[in-house]
Amino acid sequence: MIEIKQLAKKFAVENPKKLSEQEKKDPRLKGRFFHSVQDVSFSCQKGEVLGLLGPNGAGKTTTLRMLSTALKPDSGSVEISGENVLTHPVIARKKIGFLSGTTGLYGRLTGRENIHYFGQLHGMSEELIAQRIEELADLLDMHTFLDRRSENFSTGMKQKIAIARAVVHSPELVILDEPTTGLDIMATQTVLNFIRRLKAQGTPVIFSTHHLDEVEELCEKVTVIDQGKTMFDGDIDTFKGLADGSLHQSFMAAIQTTASE
Amino acid sequence: MWLVFFKELKELLRDRKTLFFMIALPLLIFPVIFGIAGFVSKQAIDKAESKILNYGIVGAEYAPDIVEELQQPDKFNLIDIAADDDYKTIIRNETVDFVLVIPENYSNDVLQNGQATIKLYFNDAGLNLVYRRVNEIVESQSELFQQSAFSTLGLNESQQDALIKPIELERVNTADTRENWGEKIGGMLPYLLIILCLQGAMFPATDIGAGEKERGTLETLLISPIDRNKIVLGKFLTISFAGAMTALITVVSMAIWGLVLSQGMAIQIVADFMAQIGILDFVLIFLMLVPVVAIFAAVLLSISIYAKSFKEAQSYMGPMMIFVIVPIMLSILPGVELKGGWAWVPITNVSLAMKELVKGTMDYFQLFAIFGSTVVIAGALFAFCVYWFNKEKVLFR
Repeated sequence: MIEIKQLAKKFAVENPKKLSEQEKKDPRLKGRFFHSVQDVSFSCQKGEVLGLLGPNGAGKTTTLRMLSTALKPDSGSVEISGENVLTHPVIARKKIGFLSGTTGLYGRLTGRENIHYFGQLHGMSEELIAQRIEELADLLDMHTFLDRRSENFSTGMKQKIAIARAVVHSPELVILDEPTTGLDIMATQTVLNFIRRLKAQGTPVIFSTHHLDEVEELCEKVTVIDQGKTMFDGDIDTFKGLADGSLHQSFMAAIQTTASE
Repeated sequence: MWLVFFKELKELLRDRKTLFFMIALPLLIFPVIFGIAGFVSKQAIDKAESKILNYGIVGAEYAPDIVEELQQPDKFNLIDIAADDDYKTIIRNETVDFVLVIPENYSNDVLQNGQATIKLYFNDAGLNLVYRRVNEIVESQSELFQQSAFSTLGLNESQQDALIKPIELERVNTADTRENWGEKIGGMLPYLLIILCLQGAMFPATDIGAGEKERGTLETLLISPIDRNKIVLGKFLTISFAGAMTALITVVSMAIWGLVLSQGMAIQIVADFMAQIGILDFVLIFLMLVPVVAIFAAVLLSISIYAKSFKEAQSYMGPMMIFVIVPIMLSILPGVELKGGWAWVPITNVSLAMKELVKGTMDYFQLFAIFGSTVVIAGALFAFCVYWFNKEKVLFR
């Protein structure tokens, strides 16, 4: 379904003196370039939910941004159902739904208009958009606030609209970048329910998170990234098997294996 | 592309701040401000004219005719002062408004006594009409004396004129009224229009570049299946449109309010002047703005998309105003004319052309240079904007 092979991305460092002490110690800093992602590979099949784990600054967001075509990788390949994302980004974008914890809405547009605009950008017909919005409004229970300006929404309402906006075009793959970070319990639940629903429909989901309980509950597969490299890529049971006890210890073990190499 | 344009426009129109700056300000606030300013200054002048002036006079015995003229209780009020008073002090403490000192040699026999110098002491700082009002009286006396002297000498009328002013330098203006007024009004017009364009474009530019980054909607927009070029073009058009509209609305509102507020003679002059400028010239003036607005829009959008936040964008845009005012100022310097090299200097050439169009002395051939240079610059800036929009370094700063 989706296959990522040996993805790499470096950023030019404009002023090396400005970097923090920690960044200077990072082995990924080589000369004038910071190799944020060096070697990331994983794959995700239909109906699977993949949890992307890793400490802060490991390269999760960069990896997901490359998947969503916002950034262009320096090397490696991304294929979605056989389509090369790097050579045909516009086609690939139609297959992807992307949402991050920091995604905003156009405050002066109503919820409906926000979703409608992205439907239009995806080249959907008016009837289809209207129909899709109805469906999603039922699903996410948005009827009460759909036609109000989104600047006055609560976090939960915003998140619902953002979810609807991300999947208005019925994507083949949904990518979520820390979708629950900074949300309250209710809004988090909305997101998790949404992932469950996608899973039931057979749509693959890739999401990055710091919450291991979410991973345990939802994911078939786990990928751990540290310092821009894949440290673990396998199913949840293998991941649990890395260490006795909790997932936290498995996570630490996954990072340790390579740190000792 | 139009999708982006219409959505941006819709969002813009829903914002009260934009509406205020784009429409309310030029449409209502400016005329009201100008109206109030005009009303207040007219009141002040009226008051100065009708105010009863307190005066003191020294040497009144030498000029009984002037003393008589001053005896108008609704205009002047005599206060007794001593000849050795300090005039400065009594004027400062408002005992009197002015003091008139008439010399001993004051007489109606000019040929015998020569020129008489009457001294008028008053505080000339600030708005007052003391000199004008006293001069009216003195002038009429002066003329009477002149006439009697001339008749004593037995001079005919042409000899009289020659004596008053032996050589007269007459001004013959070959410029017609349009050119004359055009130079004055046409010099102001570019300031107003170009600055307004910039002002009008600035807010939307901040909003749809840096604003979008700040709100976290940019990333989603970038990964929607639409070409970056189209996103840039849509945003670019929105900014240009907003700038041009602000200028247009302002000019139209000024024209309308000008007609409404001016009365009598003034309306005739304005109407005549307007009638002389053809529709084509009006259209050309407006068309001139298009490439200028395009330059602004491209620069503003580049700045805006580079900035991380609203605030950052605004502080980058601040100095733009100075960069724009300098070339406009160049256009009113003497010797800077719409030909040769100057026709290729952006913004300066447009302000020159606007002036020429209003004056009616436009060399239409220069339009090629103007549009040529502006389009090339606007095009280059727009290309840069597109390039800029494709830089990851800029987008994910």
